[in-house]
Amino acid sequence: MDLLTSLKISSSGLAANRKRMGAISSNIANAQTTRTAEGGPYRKKEVVFGAEPARDSFSEILEGELSENAKAVHATEVISTNRPPILKYEPNHPDANDQGYVAYPDINVMEEMTNMISASRSYEANVQAMNTTKNMAMKALEIGR
Amino acid sequence: MDVNDKTLKALSSSLNFRQMRQEVISANIANADTPGYRSKRVDFEAALARALDVDGNMSMKTGDQRHFDVGSGGFDNLKPEIFNDPNGVVSEDGNTVDRDREMALMAENKILYDASVQLLAKKLGLMKYAVQSQ
Repeated sequence: MDLLTSLKISSSGLAANRKRMGAISSNIANAQTTRTAEGGPYRKKEVVFGAEPARDSFSEILEGELSENAKAVHATEVISTNRPPILKYEPNHPDANDQGYVAYPDINVMEEMTNMISASRSYEANVQAMNTTKNMAMKALEIGR
Repeated sequence: MDVNDKTLKALSSSLNFRQMRQEVISANIANADTPGYRSKRVDFEAALARALDVDGNMSMKTGDQRHFDVGSGGFDNLKPEIFNDPNGVVSEDGNTVDRDREMALMAENKILYDASVQLLAKKLGLMKYAVQSQ
């Protein structure tokens, strides 16, 4: 039970949303990429969030109920597999297959933009939470002055 | 003036619980996009009012040394309740965090925290004055 844990939780939120933002900008930048190092078109990246206990040391976990309730967020980057590439008939394209089709990644730029706005808002909310926590800690230092 | 009076205890536990609430609200905001996360709430006001016992109705009267003193001295084992928000609207990924509501609750919590800090400072100032003035 301290304000530093709140800061840790908020910073986990910031890190998670930054990771999400990274994946989104990578998706937008590669919306037309037909060749990658692994071969084939670019695969859409997605970031999945999961909650995890904010306290890591054993004594902190023993502290009680709060540890299982105040959770930090953990982001994992995954390659989306449920979206097959879109085939477009472009026989003159260098990456066209034998039938003249080119595999483009199935990335909807509009969807990425809305995700980006959502990530940016989440980031701002976490910044706000962090500032509030910081102000509270600063205020506590004024006690007894 | 009793140095260990109820006011100081009540204010310090209020500060502790508001810190706790701030932590839980930060966790809710951080997990606003986590699938399946349920928004959490901290409730301590009722427990604090019981421990503070302004009107003296909460503690049992004891007339003998061997009687159990139920109700008073509650500041030491004061425990807030942490529970899933029952009013949360479940979104399609099972998340019940409403960001605007969390921000509003956080602002409210911060104001009341600041108020408690100010009251504590004033209370300590009074004591300081009582100690110093000759």
